[in-house]
Amino acid sequence: MGILDVKGLSKAFGDLPVLNNVDLSVQEGERIAIIGASGCGKSVFLRCLNLLEVPDEGHITIDGEEITAKGANIDLIRRKMGMVFQKFHLFSHYNVLDNLCLAPTQLLGMDRVTAEKKAMSLLSQVGLAAKAKVFPTVLSGGQQQRIAICRALMMEPKVLLLDEPTSALDPTMVGEVLAVIRMLAKQKLTMIIVTHEMKFAQEVADRILFFADQGIYEQGSPEEIFNSPQREKTISFIRKHTFFSYEISKRSEFDLMKLQGGIWSFAEKYGINDKHTYLLQLSSEELIYEFFHGSFADGEEVDLKLDVTYAQADDRIIMEVVSGGAEYNPILAESQDDDGMEHIGITLLKKRVSSISYAYEGGKNRVRVEVAGN
Amino acid sequence: MEIIYQIFIANGAFTTICKGLWVTVEISLVALILGTLLGAVICFFRMGNNRLMRFLTAGYIALIRGCPVLMLLMLLFYGVLAQSGLSPIAVAILAFALHTAAHVAELLRSSIMATDFGQVEAARTLGFSRIQAFRLVTLPQMMHIARPVYQSTIVNLIQWTSVVGYVTITDLTRVIYNTASRTMQPMITIIGGMIIYIAISYCVYGIFAWMEWRDTREVAE
Repeated sequence: MGILDVKGLSKAFGDLPVLNNVDLSVQEGERIAIIGASGCGKSVFLRCLNLLEVPDEGHITIDGEEITAKGANIDLIRRKMGMVFQKFHLFSHYNVLDNLCLAPTQLLGMDRVTAEKKAMSLLSQVGLAAKAKVFPTVLSGGQQQRIAICRALMMEPKVLLLDEPTSALDPTMVGEVLAVIRMLAKQKLTMIIVTHEMKFAQEVADRILFFADQGIYEQGSPEEIFNSPQREKTISFIRKHTFFSYEISKRSEFDLMKLQGGIWSFAEKYGINDKHTYLLQLSSEELIYEFFHGSFADGEEVDLKLDVTYAQADDRIIMEVVSGGAEYNPILAESQDDDGMEHIGITLLKKRVSSISYAYEGGKNRVRVEVAGN
Repeated sequence: MEIIYQIFIANGAFTTICKGLWVTVEISLVALILGTLLGAVICFFRMGNNRLMRFLTAGYIALIRGCPVLMLLMLLFYGVLAQSGLSPIAVAILAFALHTAAHVAELLRSSIMATDFGQVEAARTLGFSRIQAFRLVTLPQMMHIARPVYQSTIVNLIQWTSVVGYVTITDLTRVIYNTASRTMQPMITIIGGMIIYIAISYCVYGIFAWMEWRDTREVAE
């Protein structure tokens, strides 16, 4: 028996099955990250655990008490689970300190002085002791979420459930909230976190659950799930989230801004610095136009694919451009020119990337560019 | 000055006006209290899980809000309750309470819908029961949202009670009308009556402004 046991959990909304016969056992101190595409039921699963959504079938036992049992005191068992929401939901008519003290004083009979002392100690752990008397509406999203985490911790839950805690935040505020969750992870608090932050999930979780097909499709250590996923949907999901990919089949449909934007957000996700991001953008643009001119006749349909991968192990960014059409080596382009001016972009590029190579295999032109990470 | 004294003070005129004023205040106040309580009950069923009650209360609200309160008053006085032996004032209080209840029910419903349901969920996950979550989270927030509209509801109610003269009640409006006929001074009398109504309305506004001021002061501290 773990601290949290789920057996045969099913939930449907009308005719739409969301979860089907899900089993899960969570050990004390375990940190679990749930990932998956939008609408795969991962948030519903989390909300079922404390009966915010009532499951159609199944048993949920927490710390030896079954919350789904007939006649179970749900309010009492819920205290064992803290919950942090995507949109914080701090009590807007109370100040920060009252938000934290409300539940312990009303439900646990804690006296106000003790509660305030505890609240202040939590607030200073998350760096917000100065905001104790402030109302939530004047705080930033990141600050509100840190306080929401404290509010849940005030009840000393056995398990903390976090439902996409950073999804509603500006990119600039994600870091401060993740830092708090990392701190809790170090304190061995049992956590189940639904997240879209792959890098964070990989780093903090002991176990990753990938949700698809109305349940846990594949699970394993971060190593297993991110580096060697076994099943088809996991592989394509992980690939989509750790690769940036762009395909062009018609010259007129090529959207340079979208490509550049995609590279930029990919780079941001992996903390690649501005200089390297710019280099990637430059390389992609130059190579694509080179192939447009070199491999295809005007007006002809094109067949180009661009992949950007970040190899965390040796901190390298690899960009691969694969093009159909006539054999054409863009790297040699400058020497074919008398003045070397027309292909100046490629010339510049070759001086700045760590390596660039060309191969023609299976009727495709392949260019591989490597940029050193940070 | 002499003429104002003659109209509003002399020969028991003052007492008559005060009696009329009291009738207006009495009907308004009792109808407001009963109407608010009934409105809360209607709102509870309007938002509840019972489909029949939801349908009935929605129908009630649509019906009452769709026709003039004077019609309702006359229907009760000359029709439904004609044989009941209830005093005209009691019938008037009932009519205005029923009317106010429909408006209050909708006001409460819109206020509840304007609150953040996620905060109730947050309270539930902390271990608060449904009732505790309502009392600690929804209620204070909805009261704050409802307040400005509720104050207009009260002032509207007071002004609507001016039609009770139709069912033989001598309220402030009726007293003013009678006085105007008796003294043959409609201009001054009716303006005087309007000033009294305005004064009552501003008393209501004043009470609400004071409550608002008290709240913002608490927040500032």
